[in-house]
Amino acid sequence: MEKIEYAQLNETIYKEILPNGLTVILLPKIDFYKTYALFSTNFGSIDQQFIPIGETDFKKMPDGIAHFLEHKMFEKKDGDVFDDFSKLGASANAFTSFTKTAYLFSSTSHFKENLETLLDFVQKPYFTNKSVNKEKGIIRQEIQMYDDLPEWRVMFGLLENLYPNHPASIDIAGTIESIEDITAELLYENYHTFYHPSNMQLFVTGNFEIEQTIEWIRKNQNLKQFEEAKEIKRRYPSEENTKVIPSGEIKLPVNKPKVLVGIKGKKNKLKGAAALRQLISVEFLLKLLFGETSSTYLKLYDEGLIDDSFNYEYTFEREIDHLSVGGDTKEPDQLISILKNLLLKAAESPDLNEKHFEIVKKRSIGESLQSFNSLEFIAHQFNDVQFEDVTVFDIIHLMESIELEDIKKVAMQYINSENMSEFRVTPKLK
Amino acid sequence: MQTDLASGVQLHVMPSEKFKTVTITIKFKEMLKADQITKRTLISNLINTNSRHYPTQTDFRNTLSELYGARLSTSVSKKGQYHIVSVGLTVVNDKYLKEEGILKKAIAFLENILYYPNVYHGAFHKETFKREIENLRDEYEAIYDDKQDYSTIALNELYFDTEEQRIPSFGREKDLESITPEGLYKTYEKMLSENEIDIFVLGDIVEENIIDTFKLFKFNDREIFPQKTFYELKESTEVKRKVEKQDLTQARYNLAFNTNIFYHQNNYYAGQIFNGLFGGYPHSKLFMNVREKESLAYTISSGIDTFTGSMFVYSGIDQKEATHVGEIILKELNALRQGDFNDESVQQTKELLKNSLYQSEDSANSMIERAYASKITREPQIRIEEWIKKIESVTKAEIMDTAKRVQLRAEFLLIGKED
Repeated sequence: MEKIEYAQLNETIYKEILPNGLTVILLPKIDFYKTYALFSTNFGSIDQQFIPIGETDFKKMPDGIAHFLEHKMFEKKDGDVFDDFSKLGASANAFTSFTKTAYLFSSTSHFKENLETLLDFVQKPYFTNKSVNKEKGIIRQEIQMYDDLPEWRVMFGLLENLYPNHPASIDIAGTIESIEDITAELLYENYHTFYHPSNMQLFVTGNFEIEQTIEWIRKNQNLKQFEEAKEIKRRYPSEENTKVIPSGEIKLPVNKPKVLVGIKGKKNKLKGAAALRQLISVEFLLKLLFGETSSTYLKLYDEGLIDDSFNYEYTFEREIDHLSVGGDTKEPDQLISILKNLLLKAAESPDLNEKHFEIVKKRSIGESLQSFNSLEFIAHQFNDVQFEDVTVFDIIHLMESIELEDIKKVAMQYINSENMSEFRVTPKLK
Repeated sequence: MQTDLASGVQLHVMPSEKFKTVTITIKFKEMLKADQITKRTLISNLINTNSRHYPTQTDFRNTLSELYGARLSTSVSKKGQYHIVSVGLTVVNDKYLKEEGILKKAIAFLENILYYPNVYHGAFHKETFKREIENLRDEYEAIYDDKQDYSTIALNELYFDTEEQRIPSFGREKDLESITPEGLYKTYEKMLSENEIDIFVLGDIVEENIIDTFKLFKFNDREIFPQKTFYELKESTEVKRKVEKQDLTQARYNLAFNTNIFYHQNNYYAGQIFNGLFGGYPHSKLFMNVREKESLAYTISSGIDTFTGSMFVYSGIDQKEATHVGEIILKELNALRQGDFNDESVQQTKELLKNSLYQSEDSANSMIERAYASKITREPQIRIEEWIKKIESVTKAEIMDTAKRVQLRAEFLLIGKED
C-alpha cells in the first residue's frame, strides 16, 4: 500500500491497485463514528457508444441505460440489497452522473459485513426481463418528477444548445420513450464492459482499521473471477461540424423567469495537476466576475435583476467542459445581455484586480477546508476530482500558487462568443 | 459546559477535535405568535444582508471572505410552541491557516453586526428594507413553483387548529403589507433584549478563551417564564380533506396524523420505531407496498415532528391512483396496530435508528441541535448510549400501542388539470 501524507491538512491516504485492476483508496478518520464507502465505475450517461466486451463492433445503447443499470443493481435473486444494508444498520444509495456511476453506504456498525455487501452486490448482477419491465414504471415517475422542476429544465435547455449532437444534452435518466428499449440483455452487455475492476475505484473513509480493511478487500477480490482487463473503446458523436445553438426558450408554469448563459470549452486533454489548475482557475474567474464580493453581484442585486438563486458553475469532466451562470430574474433579456457582456469582456473586468483576487483566494481556501468536515464531500470529491495522482487534498496549495495573471490568461483562452449560448424558462399563462 | 452571560442568556461551550472548523450558533427564542413570524423571518434575512458598519453587501461579504470564507447563516424555525431565530457562523480553525486570530475576529464581527444593524433614526435602512421585502415576497411566490413545498404548506393549513401553527416557520406573503422599517426595528430590539438566548460554540477550542471573548457582548438580564413547549392538537374524529388542481405532471398526495409522540416523553422511543416501520425507511410498509410492490409512486415516506406530536406522509403519485394509494396507507397503519410486522423488521429499524443517532454526532450542527432540544424541553441531555438502550428495549406491544393512538386528521391532494 502506498502511503500519501498531506501534513498541512493532517490527513493521510493509503492507495493500492489490486491484481484485478481495482483501485483502492483508504482515508481513515478515527474521530468519527461513521464509515463511508463509495464504489464507483468510470461509466455514465454519456457512454452510450462502445464496443461491448468480447465483441468487435461499436454498438449504440438507448438513452438512460447507465442510470437504469444503477437502479437494477439493487435487485437480487433473493431480495433487495437496500434491505441487506438496512438490516446491518447502514444506509445505502447510488447515483449516476454524465461520466460516473457510484454505489455507497454509510454505517456506524458492522463495517466488514457492509463493505463486503457493497463489493458483492455491485460485482454480482442479476437482471430478468420481468424485473426490467417493472422498473420502467418507477423510472418513468422519476423522469416526470424532474420534468416538473424548472431548474432542471433550464439546465438541460442550455445543455441542448451547447451540445446539440452530444449525449451530454440528454437527461441522465433518459426519456420515457428511450427506456422502453432497455432489456436485460443490454444491461448485461453494459455491465460486463464497464464494471470490470480495472474501470472501478473503491474509496473508504471514516472509522476503520487500515491493515485489516485492505486485507478484507484483497481477500474478497481474490475469490472472484474476472476476464482479463482490456482497454474500453468508447465513441462519441463528432462535434467538429456542429455549432453551439445561440439561444432557446421554454414556457412553464413558473412565477419568475429563469435564465442561464453558458460557454462550452474546448475539452482540452489536460492531465494531472494541470487539469486541476484549469478547474480551479475557471472557478476563480467566475467568483471574481459574479461572486458575492464582485461589483457586478451587488449592482445586479441592488437593481433587482438577480436574487439569491443567482449561481455560477464550471463543469469539467471527461468529454464535458462548460461554464454556466444565471438564476431567477424579472428581466430575462436585460440580465442575459449583461451577463454575456461581462463574460466577453472578462479579461478587462475591473473586478479582476489584486485586492479582490486575494479576498476570493482566502474565501476559496477557507471554503475548501470547511468542506473537509464532511466525509461524504471528501468521498465524492475523490470520485470526481481525480486527475491521475492529484486529489482534492492538493486543491489548497494549488489555489495558493495561482496568480491573477493566470486567471486573465484563462479568461482569454476560454471565453469566445461562438461557443456561448443562453436559455430561458418563461411563465406560461395559468 | 454552560455559563450564564446574563440572566436568560446562556453560553454552551462544546470542545471537539473532530472538525477543521469552529461552529458558533446563537438562538433567539420566544413564544410563537402569528403576527411575529413573518417579521422575524425578515429580520433574519436583514441580519445576513448588511449592517451599520458594513452598509453594502460588498463590504459585508468582503469581511466574511477575508475571514477565510467564514460562513454566516441565519434561519428561522419552530419547535412546538416556540419560534426561534438562529444566527450561525462557521470559521476555519486557524490551526490550518497561515494566519492567526481568525476566531476572535469572527466573534467580534458577529457582535458588531448584531449590535449595529443597518439602522438610522430608529428604522431599518429604507432601501435595504424595501429590497428584502421584495426578495421575501419572491420567495413566497417561488413556493408555488415547488410543488412539494406548496403541498406541504397546504397540508399544514388544513391540519393545525391554531393560526400560528398554520403559518409556516418562515411566515407568509400577506403579512408583508403591514411591516414598516420603524416597527421592524422595535421587533428587533425586543428580540435582542427580551428573547431567551442560547449560544453554542463547538470545535477544537479552549473554554476560558471563548467565555472571555463572549464578554464582548454586553447582554442585558431578561426575565424568562417557563412555558409549555409542546403543541397538542385538540381531540376530534373529523378528517379534513382538500383537493386542488394545478398545471403539473405528477400528483402530490400528503396526509397528516395526530400521534401523541413527543420528544423524549413516554412513547417517544416506540414512536421512532413505529415511524421507521411505517414510512421512515426503504424497508417500511409504505415504501415496500406502495412503491416497490405496486409501482404506484416514485416517492413515499413518513416523518414525525415530536414537538407538535404529528406525523406527515408525503407522496408523489400518478393521480389516477390517489384513492388506491390512500387505501393502502390506511391498511398499512392498521397492520401495525394489529401487530402484523415481524421481529426482523423491528430489529432492522432499531439498527437504522442507532446508525443515524451515531451519525448525528459526526455533524457539528446536529450536535448543537441536540443540545438545544434538551435545553428547550428542560430535560438533561441524554447520553447517546442511554438513548440507544431505550431504543433497544422497545417491545412489539409498545409499538402496537403507539400505532393505535395514531389518527388520520387531514389529507391534501394536488392534481394536474385534465388535458
